Amino acid sequence: MTDDLIRKWDLSRRRVIEAMGGAAALGAMGALPAFAQAGGPWSQVPKSKVDRLNFVVWTYGDIYTRISKQFETDWGVKVDATISSFNDHPAKLTTMYAAGEKIDVSQSSPFSFPNFIEQGLVEPLDGLPGAADYVADFSGFTKQVAQFKGKTMGLPYFSAIWVWNYYVDMLEKLKIDKPFSTYEEFIEHCVKAKKDGVSRYPVLWVAGVGLEQLPGTWYQMTWNRGGMFFDKQGNHMLGAGSVARETLKWWANTFEKGLDIADPESLKVQFTSSAKAFGAGKNLYRGPNHHYGLNVANDPAQSPIAGKVKVLGSPGDGKTIADAHVYFLCSANRNKEWAWKLLQYLGGKTKDGNYTQAVSLAKDAMLGSGYNSVMNSDAVKLGWAPWGDVPTLLKIWDQASYIGEACSSVYQPWHFPWTDQLNIEVQKCLTGQITADQCCDNLIKGIADAKRKV
Amino acid sequence: MPWFRREMRASHFAFFMNVPTLLCLGLVLAYPVVYAAYLSVHRVGLAQLRRGEFPFNGWENYGRVLEDPLFWVALKNTLVFTAITVSSEIVLAVLIALLINQTSVWTSRLTRFLILLPYAIPPIANGLIWAFLYSFQFGFLNRILFTAGLISDPVNWAGNPNTALYAVAVPYIWRTLPFAIILVHAALQGIPRELYEQASIDGANAWHRFRHITLPMLRQIIAIILILRTAFAFAVFEEILAITQGGPGDATWVAAWYSYKITFAPPNNFGMGSASAYILALMIGAIALVYMRFIYRRVTL
Repeated sequence: MTDDLIRKWDLSRRRVIEAMGGAAALGAMGALPAFAQAGGPWSQVPKSKVDRLNFVVWTYGDIYTRISKQFETDWGVKVDATISSFNDHPAKLTTMYAAGEKIDVSQSSPFSFPNFIEQGLVEPLDGLPGAADYVADFSGFTKQVAQFKGKTMGLPYFSAIWVWNYYVDMLEKLKIDKPFSTYEEFIEHCVKAKKDGVSRYPVLWVAGVGLEQLPGTWYQMTWNRGGMFFDKQGNHMLGAGSVARETLKWWANTFEKGLDIADPESLKVQFTSSAKAFGAGKNLYRGPNHHYGLNVANDPAQSPIAGKVKVLGSPGDGKTIADAHVYFLCSANRNKEWAWKLLQYLGGKTKDGNYTQAVSLAKDAMLGSGYNSVMNSDAVKLGWAPWGDVPTLLKIWDQASYIGEACSSVYQPWHFPWTDQLNIEVQKCLTGQITADQCCDNLIKGIADAKRKV
Repeated sequence: MPWFRREMRASHFAFFMNVPTLLCLGLVLAYPVVYAAYLSVHRVGLAQLRRGEFPFNGWENYGRVLEDPLFWVALKNTLVFTAITVSSEIVLAVLIALLINQTSVWTSRLTRFLILLPYAIPPIANGLIWAFLYSFQFGFLNRILFTAGLISDPVNWAGNPNTALYAVAVPYIWRTLPFAIILVHAALQGIPRELYEQASIDGANAWHRFRHITLPMLRQIIAIILILRTAFAFAVFEEILAITQGGPGDATWVAAWYSYKITFAPPNNFGMGSASAYILALMIGAIALVYMRFIYRRVTL
């Protein structure tokens, strides 16, 4: 609690000591990630009036029911929620927007966000009360997504890093004392697991169609080996001999037409479904993917091998990728003051000055936060502990770079249609219909095609 | 006699009876069709839709669609899918309808009822059910085949580019087949029994009765099924969305999926999406005309 705030409140010394003591006690229990700052801009009542507000988001447990209820209780304003699946969200949002409906707050993946901004869906946050404080607390990944062309366009929903998982019992059965630390070792372990009859398909990749599922796996392994897809100037890095191309050759070799160690389900699974499939205990490794899959694979209610799935960093220098998803103030809002208030409930602080949503997402769902203060708090250190080795995860976190570093096209409006082609070509390569060279050549040609679709 | 007491002329009566239908069709069908045509010749993204200002860009959207290799892949897949599903449906519909038309078999009544069930299942639910059935390691289909000793390793039905389109076609046929069966069954019941009796007296066996009586009498309804099912199969979407989402690779990218992705995934090119949908609609229209000209008229004359 700052001196300014104390002066502002004109509290007695005794009350300050009491308040700090209480906050410290709560903080020790993990209830507060940082000192709550009641009395900040987040607690002030907007001057204007509004009957109701709404947000358009993709589904995630019951977090939106809880936060809407809290908003109504705190401010007496009803909140309507339009919730769809992750993959359907862009279509839902854009059709509502196009139809002229009011949308106060929405959310975006980092891949759609530049597009939404370019199309005029997003209202800048600079200058709004308290916005600068949030920006000061943004993590590096969040800044790279939420800030666009020098303007702050969103508040963080969550951040994630790409990690490997392995099944401890299977490793023990194979009499291998530690998981792989090089790609050669990875192949050795998988081949042995298959040969010994311990696992028919030792590796489960996340190679289902999506914006960051199959593409994310390729981006991660390429980035880890020192490569990238587009440099900062936007030039592609997919030519002959490129790291991306060689990585794809190596990756494709793990599938049926090569070593046949990759689970065929890899081509269908998404983030959560891959964690659930891995929980069946039939695979040794789960390819690099969002870290919070551990929350599923180590949940006794969802996984027969709960507690036996461990996290692993990447080979070499351990470089990996990360991303951040954001909430934003929609330009189709009904009342900017109130929409900003609602946005803070989803991606910032609630009336009591807490990062309520970010903390509960970390504790309940193992999601990373876009705020440094939350990442450094017990919400993460204690909250993540039931599912994974927190020090290892945080070490990997420090080695992670935003996905846009590996693939700068994420900032371009044509990235979306190009990713459609990437999904198609890479799946064709992984299923042996085309070679990695043909795949990369097609993707180079596809850049021009994608640009024409914008 | 006052005018309102006079009996309305039959032609006027028919006109007024048709007005509500025409209005409904005009609102829910004609308007979107015309509006999509309008969008297809304009530059329409989200920002333009919101502002309501659409810069005219002539045939540019159509040109972009026709230049896109993915559109041609989607079209090829659509044609293959349509050929498989429509031909299978007609053959199966005739066979099953003949079977359930056997009133002497008591199970026919039960079958007649059960056969309708798939038609009552929403397409997207049907897709999800089959996605579970096809699951590589945990799917019911592989489990049955494995237990029956028909396979030794699980088959990746929806994940293999060689089988994926067929894997989507089967649930589609399963869902839409009852419609065709009902039509054929209704037509079968309209065939006079005397024809069969006379043929039997003349010594015709079952195959001959089917070949020379049943099939010719069914040609008209088969032509109708051909037209309707072709149009619907061309626009298949839900099973693709639920089971393969176009994958693996482009193995199940079909025309409607292409239009959907172009329109509703960022960068939300509504103009180009409308153009692709229009091309598809024109193709369906052209095929329907061919059917009408060469099949339907021939069998109804």
